[in-house]
Amino acid sequence: MAEMVKLFVNGQEVEVEAGKNLIDAVGAVGIEIPHFCYHPALGADGNCRMCLVGIEDGRPPLVPACKTPAQEGMKVRLDTDYIKKIQRDILEFELINHPVDCPVCDQAGECTLQDYYMTYSLEDSRMQVPQVTKGKKMDFGCGVIHDQERCVLCGRCVRFTRQITKTGELGIVNRTDAARVNIFPGKPLDNRYALNIVDICPVGAMTSEDFRFKQRAWFLKRDEGICHGCSRGCNIYIDHHREKYKDDIIYRYRARTNLLVNGYFICDEGRLSYRLENDNRQTETLVSTNKVSFDEGIKAVLDTLRAANKVLMLVSPDCTLEQMWAVKSIAALFGAALSGYSAAYIKDGDGDDYLICDDKAANRKGLELLQINTDRATFESDLNETDLFINFDNDLFFTPCNDPLKPLLESKRSIAICSRKLPVFSTASIVLPTASYTEYGGSVINENGVLQRFSKAVSKNVEGHDILEITRLLGGPVIDAERAWLEIRETVPILADVQPEHIPAEGLTLTTSEDDHVGS
Amino acid sequence: MSDRSQLIVTGEPFTFDAERDAEFERLVKRYPTRESMIMPALWLTQEQQGWISAEAIAYIAERIGTYAAKVYELATFYTMYHLKPVGTYHICVCRTLSCYLRSKQEMIEFLADEIGIRPGQISNDGKFSLEEVECLGHCGTAPVVQVNGEFHEDMDVEKLKALLATLE
Amino acid sequence: MEVKILSAKFDIEDSHLLKTAEQHGAYSTLDKLFSMKPADVIEEVKNSGLRGRGGAGFPAGIKWSFLPKDLDRPVYLAVNSDESEPATFKDRYILVRDPHMLIEGIIICSYAIGCHVSYIYIRGEYTSQVRILQQAIDEAYEAGYLGENVAGKGFSLDVTVHRGAGAYICGEETALLESIEGKKGQPRSKPPFPAVVGLYDCPTIINNVQSIASLPFIIENGADAYKAYGTEKSSGTHLFGISGHVEKPGLYELPLGLPLMEVIEKVAGGVWKNRKLKGVIPGGSSTPVLTVDEAKTVTLDYESMAEHKTMFGSGGIVVLDETVDMVKLVENLIDFYHHESCGQCTPCREGLGWMLKIVKKLIAGDGSMSDIDLLVELCDNIEMKTVCVLSAACTMPVRSYLNKFRHEFEAYAKDKGSPHNDLGKE
Repeated sequence: MAEMVKLFVNGQEVEVEAGKNLIDAVGAVGIEIPHFCYHPALGADGNCRMCLVGIEDGRPPLVPACKTPAQEGMKVRLDTDYIKKIQRDILEFELINHPVDCPVCDQAGECTLQDYYMTYSLEDSRMQVPQVTKGKKMDFGCGVIHDQERCVLCGRCVRFTRQITKTGELGIVNRTDAARVNIFPGKPLDNRYALNIVDICPVGAMTSEDFRFKQRAWFLKRDEGICHGCSRGCNIYIDHHREKYKDDIIYRYRARTNLLVNGYFICDEGRLSYRLENDNRQTETLVSTNKVSFDEGIKAVLDTLRAANKVLMLVSPDCTLEQMWAVKSIAALFGAALSGYSAAYIKDGDGDDYLICDDKAANRKGLELLQINTDRATFESDLNETDLFINFDNDLFFTPCNDPLKPLLESKRSIAICSRKLPVFSTASIVLPTASYTEYGGSVINENGVLQRFSKAVSKNVEGHDILEITRLLGGPVIDAERAWLEIRETVPILADVQPEHIPAEGLTLTTSEDDHVGS
Repeated sequence: MSDRSQLIVTGEPFTFDAERDAEFERLVKRYPTRESMIMPALWLTQEQQGWISAEAIAYIAERIGTYAAKVYELATFYTMYHLKPVGTYHICVCRTLSCYLRSKQEMIEFLADEIGIRPGQISNDGKFSLEEVECLGHCGTAPVVQVNGEFHEDMDVEKLKALLATLE
Repeated sequence: MEVKILSAKFDIEDSHLLKTAEQHGAYSTLDKLFSMKPADVIEEVKNSGLRGRGGAGFPAGIKWSFLPKDLDRPVYLAVNSDESEPATFKDRYILVRDPHMLIEGIIICSYAIGCHVSYIYIRGEYTSQVRILQQAIDEAYEAGYLGENVAGKGFSLDVTVHRGAGAYICGEETALLESIEGKKGQPRSKPPFPAVVGLYDCPTIINNVQSIASLPFIIENGADAYKAYGTEKSSGTHLFGISGHVEKPGLYELPLGLPLMEVIEKVAGGVWKNRKLKGVIPGGSSTPVLTVDEAKTVTLDYESMAEHKTMFGSGGIVVLDETVDMVKLVENLIDFYHHESCGQCTPCREGLGWMLKIVKKLIAGDGSMSDIDLLVELCDNIEMKTVCVLSAACTMPVRSYLNKFRHEFEAYAKDKGSPHNDLGKE
């Protein structure tokens, strides 16, 4: 528990964490100190001067809050005419050379400059001399577009490339108001986290080529989610919108702060993986390549299941804990073999020492905890013997390591319950569409054993059924997530005391050992 | 300040000659970090090549073990580093305060008439380039003019004319 | 009126050479120095009342005593030879005419503060000067005054010259440190102060060349001898640079405390060409201008300058005659500060550029009275809201011109022109 101190903000006593800079300290109790250049991941730079606050009886009496540690008895003032004038003046200086690009700028609606202007200024412009002009629409690489005129020179982007990615592609060249951000010619951004720069830029100086001009920020509905690109489980914002007469689609992912899991950033691949949620989705139910209704599809699956002798079910390592439990339960019900074999999800050597994991599965730990067999030899032998292979959205050919199994797979009668149109599902005689992770809620456990919960974000016009729901429709015993948790708690010792509704926002660290695996 | 960030790519790789190389190695021992060598390295480059090209900046970054963008920052921040070729004789006229009060503008006008260049320009034959600079610290003998780094104090149009005549 | 403390060797031929310098007493304080305790050296310097000669005027001895007592890291000394404040040209003389006095001062300071590595930050424009300085340093190394065993006293000291490259802001102490570290000269926020977190995160003392060069005299003759010159709170002598519209511009060493007009008249020959005085800049371009009446009552020391709402600064006196167009002079000044702004923080970076454009607009005849009010307001809006004092170095003098010569600005606004000679045709 951090040491707390009592200090005064605008005459009111508040309790804050000792030693934290004032922006974070009083921010934690809901008081905003406006700022541009400070960022908790990048530290304080002290150049924007927007966070200047008054300290009564202080020496000096005017300090940048980002560089001032909270101390007992401090009397901070944000509300005096003096401070308010400083805030207006700093904004005026930021705005005099700022191009009025708002009508064509992506950042409009989520722009710190706009927001602060509305809150702290609303003054008319007094700038009657020509503005400084600089470069615009500059391609910095990695899908980052830079506009030097919009830039407020907070330096966050430069600090990001130096402190976080340690690739140093960006710098601020020139002095005085000729100063501008640039790359060294011929050395554009070249790292796997570059698009975070778009997130951290407080204005529209850094925009994402992928998102550029696609949608206005105020139309986007922002939901919390968890990236399923690898087993890091980075926290994201899913920004989606249903345009009139169209379907609810995702326009972008943004990084969401979770100090236990991913810190303040996400990788570019994960960020752009929203496209996989929009495109190439399996929406039709197919029986022998004929389009049928979903109910007809379910009936076809049931008929086939009941007629089969040796069923093999394969579950995806991306499934939630609840879904895995539901599949395990229905496998038991039908006496089917169950595998979670997903070696193809591991890209050896692709991970780094920051966020990216070799393992691209979102919930492999879930398979371990529920003791679902993932052994290749067992899978192969079961596949050999089976007369019905049901694949719950597991992409066996995500990487080529299972290519030798293609002939065997193609020779088997199979049912695909899948969210995407992928080669692995192309030989299935029955295809049932299922929801993808942005369309359902559930729990996943990341590589470090952190259990996280996420909720449904996107609601398609035609609602898909998630895997748990499909097992229920097939007669499986797990009727909903609540029931799943009841049973999981009874059988997985390490989860015995977990109340899903009370899992902390940043996740719950589980400690796993051999003894804690579910007995079967 | 005008924009100094347009670097010139010569197409020729740059590397220190033997003399500069030795001096670099001598100096690097005098600082606890290699980063401190960026400014000395830029000076060595300018000594060797007369100005600093994009390739030179990349070379310096590589040699020191730092980011090219960082060396780029310093090369543009410190205005004495020439980022484009200068004339055989680079003339600097101080333009601040005391030199201004003691008619530096007459020097500028004279040079415009005599050589046909204004500050920031280089003569067609590449012999002269002209730059207006800030206070050179010779206010007691204003106005002052620098040619290739050498100071010429108490200048007036006549003296400047005579000085130009000596520059072959 | 002139004295020869710092400038004692200036007129001696080859005074920059070690041989000559030694003949005239260079390095003669070292025996006495090393027989003192470092703490006593600091006391002596404190007692002398020596104030920083770079422009801030902070008492040197007190600055040294800010060093932390328990040092788990090396202490550095950075000698500020950036000398870029317009109207200032004193340190150059020391570098060229008595560099060994400076080196001796470095030894004294280093011994007092426990420093073994010192950097001299010299402005890039001082080309011939840096050659002479380096030659002197090389001579000192050869003679054993620098290196592993200074004067055989078992004290090690290395001195390295670091060349600047055209940035006035590097005269600001933390920007100077940033520059030595291989970064842009962008000042740091204070606290922490360099005495605690300075060069390479280590405790560092930064002093001006002249401050350091004043040390041999103080050690040799004692604090009282130094205090015999100047006033009670402004002791010692200073190398005053007098320039502008005078008959005899130049560098003159004088005790502090003399009346400004007396110095201008008797030492610098008075206003040139029989013209009338219009104003005086007392201590470098960053100091508020004095009107003729104010110039008559001010003396050349820190207290009198403060009373007259200006500053002693670097002691760079600039005399302005009746022909000076104050508006164009202000344009020249703002142009300088704008050009030299490091660009780090918002008010200075954007504000100075704006002010320059407004002044240019006025001069071009497109300005109005509200532009003048705006200029005054901008001075207030920018000052003290920034990381360093470069902004104040611009706004404080500019405000003084706007206040004291407002009628000239109004003439541009109302009459779209000025009655004055066109000194700076652009």
